[in-house]
Amino acid sequence: MTKLLTAHFDEPKLHELETYRRLGGYEGLKKALAMGREALMAEMGKSNLRGLGGAGFGAAMKWSTVPPESKNPGPRYVVANCDESEPGCFKDRVLVTRNPHQLIEGLLIAAFAIDAYRAFIFIRGEYEVQYKILEKALDEARAAGLIGACSIDLMRGAGAYISGLDTALLETMEGKKAWPRQPPPFPTAAGLMGRPTVVNNVETLCMAPHIVLHGGDWFVKLGTPKSGGTVLFSVSGHVADPGVYEFPMGTPLKDILTAAGGVRGGKKLKAVIPGGVSTPVMTSDELDTPMDFEGPRAKGTFLGAGGVIVLDETVDMVMVAHNIERFLSHESCGQCTPCRQGSFWHERILERALSGGGTAEDLVALERAGENITGQVICALGDTVGVVTRALMKKFPEDFKSRFPERRG
Amino acid sequence: MSALTLEQEKVLKAWAARYPAPIMGLVEALRQVQRWHRCVTDEDEEYLARLFDVPRVRIHEVATFFPSFTQKPTGRHRIGICRGLSCSLAGSQSMCSCLEKKLGIKEGASTPDGRFSLETMECLGACEQGPALMVNDELKGAATEESISHLLEELE
Repeated sequence: MTKLLTAHFDEPKLHELETYRRLGGYEGLKKALAMGREALMAEMGKSNLRGLGGAGFGAAMKWSTVPPESKNPGPRYVVANCDESEPGCFKDRVLVTRNPHQLIEGLLIAAFAIDAYRAFIFIRGEYEVQYKILEKALDEARAAGLIGACSIDLMRGAGAYISGLDTALLETMEGKKAWPRQPPPFPTAAGLMGRPTVVNNVETLCMAPHIVLHGGDWFVKLGTPKSGGTVLFSVSGHVADPGVYEFPMGTPLKDILTAAGGVRGGKKLKAVIPGGVSTPVMTSDELDTPMDFEGPRAKGTFLGAGGVIVLDETVDMVMVAHNIERFLSHESCGQCTPCRQGSFWHERILERALSGGGTAEDLVALERAGENITGQVICALGDTVGVVTRALMKKFPEDFKSRFPERRG
Repeated sequence: MSALTLEQEKVLKAWAARYPAPIMGLVEALRQVQRWHRCVTDEDEEYLARLFDVPRVRIHEVATFFPSFTQKPTGRHRIGICRGLSCSLAGSQSMCSCLEKKLGIKEGASTPDGRFSLETMECLGACEQGPALMVNDELKGAATEESISHLLEELE
């Protein structure tokens, strides 16, 4: 099975420049610079590389919307988004820990593609170890003359999930509270300090050197027609071997569970959250679903950022709903009322049910709340409020009926 | 008291000079004062407002938005326990109770001697090694009652 980003993970010193180069590292960058911007964009376009931070937006499309220097003179920026904070996702942490140079190489290719001379890696504050790994890798790359005219700098967040959303990330970088912006303009037109900016997820950028080296056609064939290449799954929860697993796009969900050792402790599978907690749950009947951007969508959910959380038969789905809505409530930035209030009331109603005070009327309220949240807010966090709960209610009605009983008198 | 030394002011000025615009160094500067003072004090906010040449409320707004920053001092050792879904499935709640019992404080509080503070945190990005702990700047996975006992003994 073809692995790209995790191919050399058994090399103990992969994080060091010498090892990375011995295994062909920075050859993609060399080739990109030699082939020129136009040919590079053509290969990236053919690859059908989609944004692997969860949104799935075409990477080449994003790069191509940056206005040319002639139409918008002045600096332009590239930002690697390493703010990974979606519960269930940890692949960016692993990518940076094991192979920081792969990210640096991808970032430099992106910078070349959009003619940027300043690039950033924005990393969540909790990833202190990874920050130091990146610092060291950048020093190595600089000393070896690999970074050339483009400077790469590091920046840290301060504990807010919403900073991982591209426009909120830019606000954070600008020293403001992390309130998402209402596009348009999109960051590629007016991003960091008002300048054209590409924000790409770590995993997306890591794919670039591989596409350049082997070609867009080769890459797209690894996956499915609409989702090229491979994808990383962070598998956690009730599995025997939690960890990061790389598979071709379109791999059935059950193969991913098998790779992670299956449900642990001889228990039965109850459900799988496919892409991180903001993606609606899937049942044990949906394990044939091909995991690319289209497969989960046909089942009413999303590939998200590949954060697969496995739930065994002992799990109370009302607890799951409460855990997720509480998370959203805590992380709501407060800018849009439907999200701020909606997540807060979801949390409270579900909490009350868990302590024995739920009623059938509460269920109706939870069902109706969504109409006033999704689509009424600026960002994807707000759009998620209530969605996950309603999917759990629909797919596991028994769990909810017992927590929200009919009360008479 | 929490007045900044000249040496510390130099560090903060370096953050204000590092990025394309001075204000882009604000979050890093706040991270730095939080580390020194275990909170962001009124004096810190005043100083940063002068340094970045913005109204103090701009600093306060950011200092109160991000969970890493506190307005009251944390313990010398700041212990966070992840309550994300994967860590919850792995038993983070009982590890939180264990910490509360051993420290004799509730989540959200500090020990009277100022040695420890305990808080719950959202996903730490270590879902495969739950229950995950954040101890000062260090991520520690797979917490057990035993590992927590060792940890608390090690921390001065």
